[in-house]
Amino acid sequence: MSAGPVLKLTEAETTLVAQLGARGAAAEAERLLGAGLPTRRVEAYHYTDLRQLLRSVPVLAEAGPATQGPLSIPGAVALSITNARVGPIPTLAQGLHGQKGQGGVLAQRDDVLVRLNSALAGEHLALEVKGAVTVPVVIDRRIEGAASHAAGAVKLFVADHASLTLIEVFSGSDAAHVGNHATAITLGKGANLTHITLNVMGPTATHFATNEYHLGAAAHLRTLVVQAGGALSRTQLFPTYEGEGATAAITGLNLVGDGQHVDLTMDALHAVPHTASKPLFKTIARGRSRAVVQGRLVVARNAQKTDAKLMAQGLMLSDEAEILTKPELEIYADDVVCGHGSTCGRLDEDHLFYLMSRGISKSVAETMLVRGFLAELIDPITDETVAALLHTLIDSWLER
Amino acid sequence: MTTTPMLEIRNLHARIEDREILKGVNLIVPKGEVHAIMGRNGSGKSTLSYVLAGREDYEVTEGEVLLDGVNILEMEPAERAVAGLFLAFQYPIEIPGVATMTFLKAALNAQRKGRGEAEISTPDFMRAVKTAGEKLNVDSDMLKRALNVGFSGGEKKRAEILQMALLAPKMCVLDETDSGLDIDALKVVSEGVNALRGPDRAMLVITHYQRLLDHIVPDVVHVFSDGRVVESGPKELALELEAKGYAGFDGEKAA
Ligand SMILES: Nc1ncnc2c1ncn2[C@@H]1O[C@H](COP(=O)(O)OP(=O)(O)O)[C@@H](O)[C@H]1O
Ligand SMILES: [Mg+2]
Repeated sequence: MSAGPVLKLTEAETTLVAQLGARGAAAEAERLLGAGLPTRRVEAYHYTDLRQLLRSVPVLAEAGPATQGPLSIPGAVALSITNARVGPIPTLAQGLHGQKGQGGVLAQRDDVLVRLNSALAGEHLALEVKGAVTVPVVIDRRIEGAASHAAGAVKLFVADHASLTLIEVFSGSDAAHVGNHATAITLGKGANLTHITLNVMGPTATHFATNEYHLGAAAHLRTLVVQAGGALSRTQLFPTYEGEGATAAITGLNLVGDGQHVDLTMDALHAVPHTASKPLFKTIARGRSRAVVQGRLVVARNAQKTDAKLMAQGLMLSDEAEILTKPELEIYADDVVCGHGSTCGRLDEDHLFYLMSRGISKSVAETMLVRGFLAELIDPITDETVAALLHTLIDSWLER
Repeated sequence: MTTTPMLEIRNLHARIEDREILKGVNLIVPKGEVHAIMGRNGSGKSTLSYVLAGREDYEVTEGEVLLDGVNILEMEPAERAVAGLFLAFQYPIEIPGVATMTFLKAALNAQRKGRGEAEISTPDFMRAVKTAGEKLNVDSDMLKRALNVGFSGGEKKRAEILQMALLAPKMCVLDETDSGLDIDALKVVSEGVNALRGPDRAMLVITHYQRLLDHIVPDVVHVFSDGRVVESGPKELALELEAKGYAGFDGEKAA
């Protein structure tokens, strides 16, 4: 044992160590005691220094009654996880099977949010899809009552050639909750999934979410992560392309307002030959705010013919907004097409003038241009009710 | 009997950054007339059109612009459009992500709202676009794309005239609408413009080639040089200009 300087724990760290201990996760408690939360010196948390940003952690969430989330999609299958407890599971649409499982869902990984969720998630919602399910499935992931810390989990298996649209809505009562959520998804051969997550937490909440994806051969995944709520948010996307011909459109949208710190981090592994991905992350920032977009593409030595292009685009609507973008390519194969690009700017004055010269007022013209900036993310969502919901969410953010 | 001119520009001076571009423009376009402005490249024609439309980068230091008797210089660009001014851009702007139809409907309804009129119904709107589009060879495929994105030079100009036909402005300013058009496209566009001529509308057609004026025959031609109108006359002036060159009018050497 080294006798290095002993870390002085922050208030948040002290609480987390106690919570891990109370849940019998002694090894994790020990580890956090030694290392603390990641600081800017940890590469993956360079722009989101958790030790600084996560001041305190409330008590672990008690069971609460299942409640309705703020967004409803007519005709959708409605499931819920409230305060990290799986809600009642109704009779599901044909091809869809759901049950409650014990423990966490994420694969082991050297990441504090993953470790905390795995240690603290007592149960999870396990879903299985066979065949084509045409109605969207909505999981309301709520934190109710007084400020609390909830580590919920969802596991989804999309069988070979099955298809589904899954929407997860993260919301809660207006309190300084800390949600640290997990979703682990496996796509079988030729499976097709659209996965949309919406963070509409209250203004004082902290929201962490980790989405892990395993893509089988010829599987296709479309994700859209929308982060609009919370004082501090970080969504982590960990896709692994495990079967040849797997493709994904990993997309994300940060809607960042005054006082918010919003982080969207992707770490993708192309493990086999002939896989393709086009991650596209967009950020709109206004007020005094900070957005972080990190994307890492790792291409394994034998993953020849990987086609991956990472793009980050930012739109600044104020002088005090800050958008930090960090793309990384780690390529071990030699016959691949990989790249990254990023742009960041304000609304184009020429575009505004053109619209206004046709009689469109400045504020309406601005809204049209912002929507135009987002069209690439929303247009591919083919389910009309889901697209309408996204438009409503974005418009209400713009009008806020 | 005298009537209010549709457009009256009095001693207009404008600058961009520290450079004066318009140096005392005087011009009157009566209702029902089509006037042409001809001038060499860089003489300030586009600047005049932008200042009329209210683009922010330009600072008006002196003068007045009256649209149907109302001073528009204090108005926002959108208000000027609602008041009946339309500028067909020399270089129409490409706007990714904004669908052409969405834009057209927003523009039409914004103008109707500004004038206290009811919104147009979707069937009426579709019909109006279809009718205008047929005359200008603008097919529905073009209208499905994002605004001006990927349009050829000719398609952009036709789309400008389509907007003009839909919005039915009182005062049309056309900046080099002929540039980038082959002879067939020029005919289509000119016919579209001519169809909009009428007693309650006036037009200012900016060009630096006489060619356009064979198709859109003006009532009056103004010669523009170094930020002002240096000569005005009947349509034959355009031919004289073509023969003598601009140097015969402004004494400057050809650019
Ligand atoms: N944004 C600008 N900044 C500085 N100078 C400009 C700008 N736009 C135009 N000019 C200058 O103003 C003059 C007039 O330009 P313009 O109005 O485009 O002329 P025209 O349309 O007659 O060819 C030119 O010398 C041009 O270089
Ligand atoms: Mg010009």
